[in-house]
Amino acid sequence: MRIIKYFLSLTLLLIFLQTALLSAEEWEVPADKAKRTSPYLFDENARKKGEDIFKRSCASCHGIPGQGNNIKSLVPIPPDLKEAKVQKRSDGELFYMITTGRGAMPSFKNSLTEQERWQVISYIRSFNKDYVQPPLAKLVDSAKLRSVQIIPFFDTVKFKVSVLVKAFQKTDTLPLPDAEVSLFVKRYFGNLPIDSIRITPSNGKVTFNFPSNLPGDSTGNIQLIVKVNHEMFGELEKLYVAKLGVPTIKPPLTEKRAMWNVGKKAPLWLIFSYLIVVGAIWFFLVRIILSIRKIKQSGKNPKL
Amino acid sequence: MSVANEKIVSDLLKPIGYGKGFLIWMSFLTAILIACLYAYSIQLREGLGVTGLRDYVSWGIYIANFVFFVATSLIGMLISAVLGLTNIKWASPLARIAEIISLAFAAVAGLVIISDMGRPDRFLYLFFYGRIQSPIIWDVTVVTTYVVISILLLYLPMIPDIALCRDRLTHLPKWQRKIYEILSVNWQNTPEQQHIIRQGVKTLLILIIPVALAIHTVTSWLFAVTHRPGWDSTIFGPYFVTGAFVSGTAAVIIAMYVFRRIYHLEQYITAELFDKIGKLLVLVSLVYLYFNINEYLVPVYKLKHADAAHLHELFQGRFAILYWSVQIGGLLIPIILLLFKPMRRPLPLFIVAIFVIVGAWFKRYLIVIPTMQHPFLPIQNVPIEYQIYKPTLIEIAITVAPIILVLMIITILSKTFPILPIQEVENHENN
Repeated sequence: MRIIKYFLSLTLLLIFLQTALLSAEEWEVPADKAKRTSPYLFDENARKKGEDIFKRSCASCHGIPGQGNNIKSLVPIPPDLKEAKVQKRSDGELFYMITTGRGAMPSFKNSLTEQERWQVISYIRSFNKDYVQPPLAKLVDSAKLRSVQIIPFFDTVKFKVSVLVKAFQKTDTLPLPDAEVSLFVKRYFGNLPIDSIRITPSNGKVTFNFPSNLPGDSTGNIQLIVKVNHEMFGELEKLYVAKLGVPTIKPPLTEKRAMWNVGKKAPLWLIFSYLIVVGAIWFFLVRIILSIRKIKQSGKNPKL
Repeated sequence: MSVANEKIVSDLLKPIGYGKGFLIWMSFLTAILIACLYAYSIQLREGLGVTGLRDYVSWGIYIANFVFFVATSLIGMLISAVLGLTNIKWASPLARIAEIISLAFAAVAGLVIISDMGRPDRFLYLFFYGRIQSPIIWDVTVVTTYVVISILLLYLPMIPDIALCRDRLTHLPKWQRKIYEILSVNWQNTPEQQHIIRQGVKTLLILIIPVALAIHTVTSWLFAVTHRPGWDSTIFGPYFVTGAFVSGTAAVIIAMYVFRRIYHLEQYITAELFDKIGKLLVLVSLVYLYFNINEYLVPVYKLKHADAAHLHELFQGRFAILYWSVQIGGLLIPIILLLFKPMRRPLPLFIVAIFVIVGAWFKRYLIVIPTMQHPFLPIQNVPIEYQIYKPTLIEIAITVAPIILVLMIITILSKTFPILPIQEVENHENN
C-alpha cells in the first residue's frame, strides 16, 4: 500500500512539474527547422489571406495582434503575437510552432497547407515594422509538381484505401517512391487523420486501413483528402468522394411541427386550441352585437 | 316616476354637455397632445435612434407604459364581473366608471405598442407573417377581443340611460341629440328589450373574466417565456393580474374623486363608497404584496448566478432607491394607512391612490428595464449608453401622449353619457 501511495504521489508530482515546466520553458525549435524561410513572398495578397486564416483559426485564443485580447486565463497564456518575444523568433521557428503545436496549442499540420501556414506568418509579420523578409527559399519546380498523379482505390467492402503515386521521372511517368502520403476525412473543424502516414515503396503504392463506422451523408458518402508530400516534387492535396461511411439521415429540427418552427409548422394542438377558444368567444360576441339590432326592431313595433 | 327618482335623473344628467370648462380642459389636453405628436413625428422621421433604446434595452418606457395600460384596463373585469356576479351591491354604481377606464386604457394600449415600432407601417406584417406560436400574436388577439368586450359592456347597460338622454336633454345641439337617437336603438323599455340586454350583459360578464385574465397573463408571458433573470418566473401571470387590480382600483378611486368634485355628485359617490373601495384597495394590495414576496423572496433565497446580479441591482444597486420607494411608498405604506378608517375618507384616499398608481407605473419600469441591462451574453466593447438606459425627452413625450389620450377619452365619455348608471343608482337609493 505504501509503495502505491508513494508511486501515486510521485506521478502527481511529475505531472505537476511537467505542466509547470511546459509553461515556463522556452519553446525549443530544432536548428535546421529554425533556419527555414518562406518560399512565398509576404506581399499584400499573402497578408490578406493570412488574416482570414488567422481570424478563423488563431484569434480565438491569441486575439488580434496588438489589441491584447488574447485569453489570459489559459496556461500557458497564448501570447499576443505582436509582442517582441514572438516577433524576435525566426520565420522558421514560427512555421515549426504552427506546424507541430504544443500543449493546448494544436498542430496545424493537417488543417493548413504549407502555403497557408506561411500566409499566417506573413500576417503576423505585418505587425512588425522592423521586419524584413529573408531571401525566399527555393520553391519546388512547378512542372515537376504538375506531373504528380494520385490514383486512389477505394475498397468499400473491406474498408481499405490504396493510393498509387506516379510522377514524371527522367523520361516517363513512373511510380514515385519516398513520397509521404497521408489520408484525412474532411469534417467541419479540421480534418480527421486516418491511419498513420505512409511512405511510398518502390512500386509507389500505399494502403490505409479505414474505419467502418464513420458517419457519412444520407447515401454513405464521405469526403476524403489525400495529401502527398515529396522532397523534390512538393506538396499536393486532392479531394475525393467515396461510399465508405455509414448512411446517416439526421432530420433537421425544423422538419416536424414544433413550437420553435415557422408559422406553417405550428403544433396542431396549438392551432386548434387557439381557434376553438377565439372562435367560441367571438361567437358569443357576434351574437351580442346582432342582438342590438333586435333591440332596435323590437322598439319599432313594441309588443307591450 | 317618483320625486326621488326624478331628482336622481336630473342630478345625473346635469354634467352632460360640452360647457366652457370642458372646452378649456380639452384644449389644454389637445395642446399637450400636439406637442407629443410632434415628438412622435421626429421619431417617425429619424427612427428609434432618437429614443434611449439601444441593443441592450430595446424595450424601454414604451413597453413599461404598455404593461401599465393593460394592467389598469383590467379593473372593469374586477368591478363589473367579479363583484357584479357575486352580487356585491355597493360596487354596482361604480361599474360605469370602471368600464370607461377599462375601455380607455385597453384601446390606447394598442397604440402604445405601435409607438415602440421603428417601422409602424409594417404593423400589418404581424397578421401576414406572424407565428401563432408567438405570445405577441396571442397578445394582439386578446387585446382586440378585450377592447370589443369593454365597448359592449359599457354600451349595452347604458342603452336605457342613452334613451333617457334622448328624451330629456332637449336643450342640447341637434347633432348631439342625433347621436343619442342612433345609439339608443329605439329603446322603449319593453320587457323584450330588457330581456335582450340582461342576457347580453350576463354573457359579457362571464366572458370578460377569462378574457381579462388572458390579456394580462399573455402580457406577462411576453416576459416569462424567456430565460432572463427577473422574467423567468412561473408566477408571472398571477403576479401581473394581481398587480393590475391594484393600479386599476387606484385609477377608479382617482376618477371617483375627480367626478365627485367636478360634477357635484357628493350625494351619489358617497363617503361610504370611498370607504368600501378603500377596503377593496387594501385587499388587492395585500394579495399583490403576497405575490411580491413570492416573486422576490424565493429567488433571493436561492440566489442563482444570473438572478443574483439582477436582484443586487434592485435591492442595493442602481435601482435600489426606485425599487424601495415603489415597494414601500406604493404598496406597503398605502396598505398600512388604509387600515385606518379616517384614511379611507375621500381626500386622503384620493392622495393614497395617486401614490399607488405612480408606484404602479414605476413598478412596470422596474419589471421591464433592469432585466434588459443584464443580458446573458454581453456585447463586447459597446459604448456606455448601450448599457445604461436613459429615456430621452422625445421618448418621454411619446410616452405621455397615450396618457393624454386616455384622459381625453374619459373626459369625452363622461361628458356625453351619465357617469353613474341611473337605474343602478335608483335601485341603490330606493333600497
